[in-house]
Order: sequence, then C-alpha cells, then structure tokens
Amino acid sequence: MHHILLIDDEPDILRVLAMSLRVDGHTVHTAASGEEGIELFLKHRPEIVITDIRMPGMDGIEVLKRVRSLSDRVEVIIVTGHGDVDVAIEALKYGASDFINKPVRDEALSVALKRAGEKLAVQQQIRDYTHNLEEKVEEATRALRRQTVFLQELINSSWDGIVGIDADGAIAVYNPAAERIFGKSARQVLGTTIDTLESGVRTIIEQAAHSNVCHLESQELTVIAETGERIPVDFSGSCLFDGEVSIGFVGFFHDLREIRRLQQELVEKERLATIGQTVAGLAHCIKNILHGLEGGSYILDAAIKRKDYEKLTNGWRLIQRTVHRTADLLKDLLTYSKKREPEFKPCDPIGIVKEVCDLLLPIAEKSRVTLDIRVEEGGPKTVMLDPQTLYRVTMNLVSNAIDACLFDENRLKSFRVMVRLAVREGERIDLWVTDNGCGMDEETASKLFVSFFSTKGAQGTGLGLLVTRKLVEEHGGGIEVTSRLNEGTTFHVWLPVRDHQPDEHQGENHGKESVVGG
Amino acid sequence: MNIKGRTMAKKVLLVDDDPDILVLNQTVVEENGFEPVTAENGEQGLALARSEKPDAIVLDILMPRQSGIKMYRALKLDDGLKDIPVVVLSGIARKSFLKSQDILSGNDGRQVPEPDIYLEKPVSPAMLADAIRKVLAGK
Repeated sequence: MHHILLIDDEPDILRVLAMSLRVDGHTVHTAASGEEGIELFLKHRPEIVITDIRMPGMDGIEVLKRVRSLSDRVEVIIVTGHGDVDVAIEALKYGASDFINKPVRDEALSVALKRAGEKLAVQQQIRDYTHNLEEKVEEATRALRRQTVFLQELINSSWDGIVGIDADGAIAVYNPAAERIFGKSARQVLGTTIDTLESGVRTIIEQAAHSNVCHLESQELTVIAETGERIPVDFSGSCLFDGEVSIGFVGFFHDLREIRRLQQELVEKERLATIGQTVAGLAHCIKNILHGLEGGSYILDAAIKRKDYEKLTNGWRLIQRTVHRTADLLKDLLTYSKKREPEFKPCDPIGIVKEVCDLLLPIAEKSRVTLDIRVEEGGPKTVMLDPQTLYRVTMNLVSNAIDACLFDENRLKSFRVMVRLAVREGERIDLWVTDNGCGMDEETASKLFVSFFSTKGAQGTGLGLLVTRKLVEEHGGGIEVTSRLNEGTTFHVWLPVRDHQPDEHQGENHGKESVVGG
Repeated sequence: MNIKGRTMAKKVLLVDDDPDILVLNQTVVEENGFEPVTAENGEQGLALARSEKPDAIVLDILMPRQSGIKMYRALKLDDGLKDIPVVVLSGIARKSFLKSQDILSGNDGRQVPEPDIYLEKPVSPAMLADAIRKVLAGK
C-alpha cells in the first residue's frame, strides 16, 4: 500500500477521497492548498501525490513542478475538471504520471494508483539495477587500472629495451631502457611510425612484420644511437596476436655494452696474467742459464789459477752445454711464439722415429730404461708430411717418457718406453709413446699444456709439450694423453698426411736433410 | 784461514745427479780448501758416506727415484752418520718442499730432523762455500 499526499482546495472532495483511500489501506496526508501540499511533501516524503489542477495560489501544475524538482522518486497524479485537455497535456509535459477527471470515481482512481505503483516499482528496480551496474563497472575499472599499471610498470622496469608497434604501425610502447639504448625519449617516439626508429632496427622490424616468421630468435645487432655510439645489442622479437588477428609487433633489445666491457676487461686481465707468467718463466730460465755460465767461469778461473788442464776442460764443457741449452730454449721459444706453416714433403716416418730413438737410446740405457719401437705392418714407406714436425714431436715425447721413468721411485719396476707407429697412405700417421714410469695425478695432467709449467725443476723449461702441441696443431693433427699416477702415461699423436704430388720433390730426399738440421 | 794441508783438509761429500753441478761444486769445495768426494746418486752417496766418513754432506734432494730423499732419511736414521751436518740443495722452495715430500716423517712414521741448511737452486759458489763453512764450524 502507498503513502499518499492528497491536495485539493475543496474540503469535501478532500475528505471523501481521503476516506476512500484510507479504506483501501493507504496512508494519506491531506492539504487544502498547493503551499500546504509542498510543506507536507517535504515533511512526509510520500510516494504518490494526487493534486487538483485548479487551486487558488499555487496551482496543480506548479505543485507538480515543485514536487518533481524536489524528488525523482514520486508519482504525481493530476485531477482535472472536465474539458481541461490542454492543462492535462501540459501536466504530462512536466512529468505527471497520470491524470483523472472530476468527479473522481473510485475505479478511475484505483487504476491510476495501480499504474503509479507499477511505475514506482519499475523505477526502483531500474535504480537498484543501475546502482549494481555502477558498482560493478567501478570495480572492473579499478581492477583494469591496477592491471594496466602493473603491466606498464613491468615494461618500464625492464632492463631490456622494449619497443611495441600496434596494428597501424604506430609505436605504442617505448620503455625507459629503450630510451637509454637509442637515446631518443618516449615523447619523441610514441605515436609516430617506425620511421622514427634507427634504420637498422626499422629494417629488421619491417622484415619480421612482413614475413611469416612470427618469432625472431635472438641475434646480435649493432644499433647506432642518437649520439652516434655503436651499441651492441641482443635482439629478439615477436608478432602479437589476439586470436587470429594481428595486433602488432614487439621487439626486445638487450644492451650488451656492459657484458662486452667486462669481457674485454677479462681478456686484458688474462693477457696481462699470461705476460706475467711468461716473464716469470723466462726469468727463471735465464737465471738457470746465467748460473751455468757463472759456474763455468768459476771453474775456468780456478783451472787457470792452478794450470789444471782437466778442470779447464770441465769448465769449458759446462759453458758449452749451457750455450747449447740456451740455443734449445731459444728454439722452443721461437717455435712457440711464431706461426709456422708445416712443409709437406715426401719422407720416411719410420726412419725419422727410429733416428730419434737411436739418439735417445744411450740416455735410456744409462737410466736403465728399455726403449722399443713397434711399427704396424702394411703401411707405405714414404708419405707426405712435415718431417721437422714428426722429428721434434717424437724427440719431445720420448725424452719425456724416459724422464717419467727416471722420476718413478718404484725400484722394483723394470722400466720400459714403447714407441708405436702406424702409417696409412693418404690419411694419417699415428704415434703412441707409452711409458710405465711415474704417471701423473689429475692436477699435473691438467697443467700439461701450461707455459713454463714443469715437474723437472731446473732441468725443464716447461715449453716442451706446449711446443709439441703447437707443432701438431699446425700440422692439422691432434694430441691426447692418458695417465695414471704410478702406473705410466701414453701420449697419442696423429698427423694427417697429404697425397703424393708426383711432379714435386720427386727423387729428392728433402726429409732427411731437414731432419738432420732439427 | 788456518793451516792448509792435505791431511788437515775437511772432507765434503757432494751428491748430485747433474754432472755439471757436481763439477762446479767440486771446484768450489777445492777452492775453499776442503777435500771433495762425489757421488751421482743416493745409493752411491750413502755408500761413500759410510766408507769415507765425510765431515759434511752437500745433497741434491731432488734426484730421480727419490734417491736424495731416501739418502737423507737413511743418514739421519743411522746412529753412525746422523751427526754429519747436511746442506740440502733443492729446486723447490723450502716450505712447500718439506710439506709435500713427507721428508721428515717418511712412510714409516719415523721422524728425522730438518736439514742443517737448505739452499734453493741455483746456488752460487759463494753461497755454497758459506753454507759448508757454517755447518763445519757448527759441528
């Protein structure tokens, strides 16, 4: 039931209508004039106002206007006299919800009230619905904003430069890291076409956007910044899709300047460390040479003073040996420091290996080491390789093998160095040098090819294996080592040989010549 | 210097596998008025120590098959020889050498004293002469 304000200047009508409405169960306030009606309206806030149109003072239209301006949750029903059509139309214009004619019949009144009630209910529903909707929109807006800010911050805080291009080819994302790399501000770039970007970057983005490759694997580029600086970057990119629809392209630029700087620093540090090591190693070698020369002079002085011919010979030999050792060291140093092209010529590898072993045999015998050579049968006698390389490699490896036996403390072992050679025409030669001497632990094995590293104290320069490996590698071959502490070591070297070139060097024995020199 | 003479000369045993060093050190010993006896390895050195009864020994401790280390331990564990002062020559710094080679405790756990003098190679004639004089004076 409704809360109704009834306004009429005729007290009888007012009384009768009020009574009738109350009987129907409505709550009714009555006012005898427009002014009183407005007063009561403000006081009681009724849902429905029923007002006579013709009243002295404030008339029904004025009441309607005032009530409408005071509240939008009210229905106003106008009561008109017979033939007041114009006024009724005006009333509707001002928002009256209905009008009934005088004399007011109960039936007409109840229909009007029912309609007004329905309108109120619908309005309430719309209000509730709108309110809900507004709340939901507000909530969704807040969530969306949070998410946008989150994504924006994500892009802004990236250390990689991110450049995003929308479907129309305009730059939509240009984060601070991109500003740092390219040296252009987001303000200059955002919203413009990719023509604003550096040409190299533009080309790569255009290529990617127009090809079907939608994911560009990372690749290194050099971009030229606004300042002219050439900046190395690692670039990757991706086309962006919403379902099937292309919505743009994104490029990621990882600045490599810092990494490059650190790498360069590292290289420089390593270079300095290597120089330091080399200088220290050389100083050590020179110290030993100097000691030999000083020792020789000391003996010579003593010999001259005593006129002792034997001592004179001893001193002189010490000086000669030192000179020899110096020459060997110099040769190793030169071999190690200079690139040398191997000189391929026809030679007899078996002969070279045998020659080296013959030279080292007296030393092996003196150290009670058996030295054996085994040659795999079936190979050709002459192949094309650099005889100098084979000679020096064999010399180094076999001397090392004998030394390894010398340094073994196990006196029950019978020491043995085995040299094995396999020659395959047109392919390669393989050389194995195996000893059953002291062997190496992992630490020593790991330092084998470190310059000036030696386990032989003053006797070794720490260059032998380094030179060996260099010679082997220059020849296009390889070297590998297997070793067990206290059990022995095997060095395996292979050198590729070339096919015979019959018109060159034929009939000459170049191999022999250069070997004698080595 | 006091009276020089063959009979008065102190005997110094030199053990080194490097013949060059042996010749040099022999000359140093002679030039300083002592009598040199030389050996090329530890076994020979130990035999000469027993037969020649030297007043001092100059020993290259880094010789093949650990014969220097073995000779040093044998000398110090022999009641007849342990009082002969030893000058040790070595290619490695004293500290790392003593640590790495178990020279003092050995495999059998029997402790021997540190060498009287430890010289890092190369050793100049003057340094060697000083060292020999020092150990002979301390005896």
